[in-house]
Amino acid sequence: MVILEVGEFTRVEGNGKAEIVIENGEVKEVRVKIVEGPRFFELLTLGRYYWDVPDLEARICAICYLAHSFASVLGIEKAFGVEVPEEIQLLRELGLIGEVLESHALHLYLLVAPDLFGYPDAIRMMSKHGKLVKEGLTLKSFGNYIREIVGGREIHGINIKPGGFGRFPTVEELEKIERNCDELLRMAKKAVNIFATQDVFGAVPRYHIATDEYLYGEKLIASDGERFDYLEHIEEKALPYSFAKQSKYKGEIFMVGALSRLMLKADKLTPIAKELFEQHKEKLSQCYVSLNNLAQAIELVYAVERAKEIVSTLLDKGIKGENVPIEPKEGEGIGYVEAPRGVLIHHYKIDEKGNITYSNIITPTALNHALMELSLYEETKKNYGTLDENSLVHKLEETVRAFDPCISCSVHLVRL
Amino acid sequence: MLKLGVFELTDCGGCALNILFLYDKLFDLLEFYEIKEFHMASSFKEHDHLDVAIVTGTVSSQRDLEVLKHARNYSNYLIALGTCATHGSVQGAVEGKIRDKLEKVYGTRANPMKALDSKPVIEYIAVDFALPGCPYDKMELYQLLIDLAKGIEPVKKDYPVCIECKLNEYECVLVKKGVPCLGPITLGGCNAVCIRSGLGCIGCRGPLPKEANPTSEFEILRELGYDEEYIRKKFKTFARGELRW
Ligand code: SF4
Ligand code: SF4
Repeated sequence: MVILEVGEFTRVEGNGKAEIVIENGEVKEVRVKIVEGPRFFELLTLGRYYWDVPDLEARICAICYLAHSFASVLGIEKAFGVEVPEEIQLLRELGLIGEVLESHALHLYLLVAPDLFGYPDAIRMMSKHGKLVKEGLTLKSFGNYIREIVGGREIHGINIKPGGFGRFPTVEELEKIERNCDELLRMAKKAVNIFATQDVFGAVPRYHIATDEYLYGEKLIASDGERFDYLEHIEEKALPYSFAKQSKYKGEIFMVGALSRLMLKADKLTPIAKELFEQHKEKLSQCYVSLNNLAQAIELVYAVERAKEIVSTLLDKGIKGENVPIEPKEGEGIGYVEAPRGVLIHHYKIDEKGNITYSNIITPTALNHALMELSLYEETKKNYGTLDENSLVHKLEETVRAFDPCISCSVHLVRL
Repeated sequence: MLKLGVFELTDCGGCALNILFLYDKLFDLLEFYEIKEFHMASSFKEHDHLDVAIVTGTVSSQRDLEVLKHARNYSNYLIALGTCATHGSVQGAVEGKIRDKLEKVYGTRANPMKALDSKPVIEYIAVDFALPGCPYDKMELYQLLIDLAKGIEPVKKDYPVCIECKLNEYECVLVKKGVPCLGPITLGGCNAVCIRSGLGCIGCRGPLPKEANPTSEFEILRELGYDEEYIRKKFKTFARGELRW
């Protein structure tokens, strides 16, 4: 028996590794071990006053803090039966777009591109491909600018609040977004060309799952046509070798993330993104995990186009800057948001004083955990014996990376 | 060239990510530093002696403890970076014993992965610099690294967030709006960014050492009508109950 160790994974967020058991030349078992310590966020939020909770939940993950605050706010608003007007909805969506830009650009340019060009990191890529890396950083810092004006800070801002915002962005701040969109669009389109050349690898999921609207929603949808609440069809189980739980949809392995969003919601894309999707549809429809990278590149285009649409709507109508007042009462609510890496679920029960009595959070990396193991299994099966050990391990790392896993997020998933 | 390593223990990734958010300034740093290990950003790794090791996150597993010892043993200067590393941050504030927490969350008291109760780095080892913030202000880290490279003694911040509100002429949310704000007892250095949004400071840079007066903050909040349990939770969110009153 041989045990192949991969990791700890590099160029991913958080600490994880994989163990692959090979017996008589055959791949027997794959275990993706999330070794990041558990963080027990649900326990942290129990008994806390609802107003403070989105700020705490933001700390689950820095790369997608805003998605966490937002999912938390949505869950809380649902529990209180609060609905916010279009202005607030659009601004929140804009914040998520900032996050998509920041996160996808980080992933594609700094974490994946070194694989494509044969370097250990983007810094060492600078001398030959400096322009490309700089473009990636420009997209990323622009995403962060949006996170800052909507979310309050580049990381862990506390501006996203139940009922609205601490502070609304100003006209000047929004105009700055409008001014920059054309230049950013040019860069984003270039990314699509680069990632369209990547080979396919990893497994093919049985199902895709996403929220019903493009970046957040009322319900989840799946590729078998189901529209549902997560408790109806998603089951989680704890593993003895990992701090992350594993989920199945109707007992099967599924995928969430950029590729799933495109496969399920291409009709909601903006014009140029839709065109690019059509152009690469045939390749994308093969649904290998690695195609998630190409899907992310197309989403960069979507994000820039959509940001421009939102900003011009807001500027035309003018910003009112009014929050919806909130009266705490007993209730239960679920927030479904698309974090850059896929579906994120925050579920709360709240008592009549406004304190949290139950909380459950399921993150995209946990939802993808089973597919990640399957992908490593298939890649090892395909390459064991043909590739030397170093190249194989490298390939397996690349496979994990394609998920853009966010390990910090995944380590505390519970139902209490 | 100085040799730099970035080590991540259990955390949200923000403090490591924030280094990449230095953008152009990061390239300025690379004039002085060579990155020998930074697993979020690079697959390059060299187990060599380091001039500066940066450690982010809390010690929350046996693995974290080993990484921390490694970072300490291999470096001249060790920087505990971010409130997780300096005070425990939010995960350090989760109450209860590890086995009970595991049972509540994973349905078993077994601990095969050797999880520990989350504690800040500074409770395990001596550090040369402790730079709090959840996340820290990235320019503060930049300055610290430049100072170290140039052999200048870094200056420490020692004033509350309140001072930064005054400098920015922000209206006091605590007095004017009755919003619970921990600005008076929280270490400044963030430029009062949350008060800029009209919101109260939640204390993410940890308590102001020495001069802080948590007792009077406690009284103010009580007079505003907040109950003791609420205030207690708020005080210890980022700092494991270090503030006593
Ligand atoms: S201090 Fe805050 S930002 Fe830094 S790693 Fe910890 S939780 Fe994340
Ligand atoms: S105002 Fe308070 S909560 Fe906000 S960043 Fe500064 S120290 Fe942190």
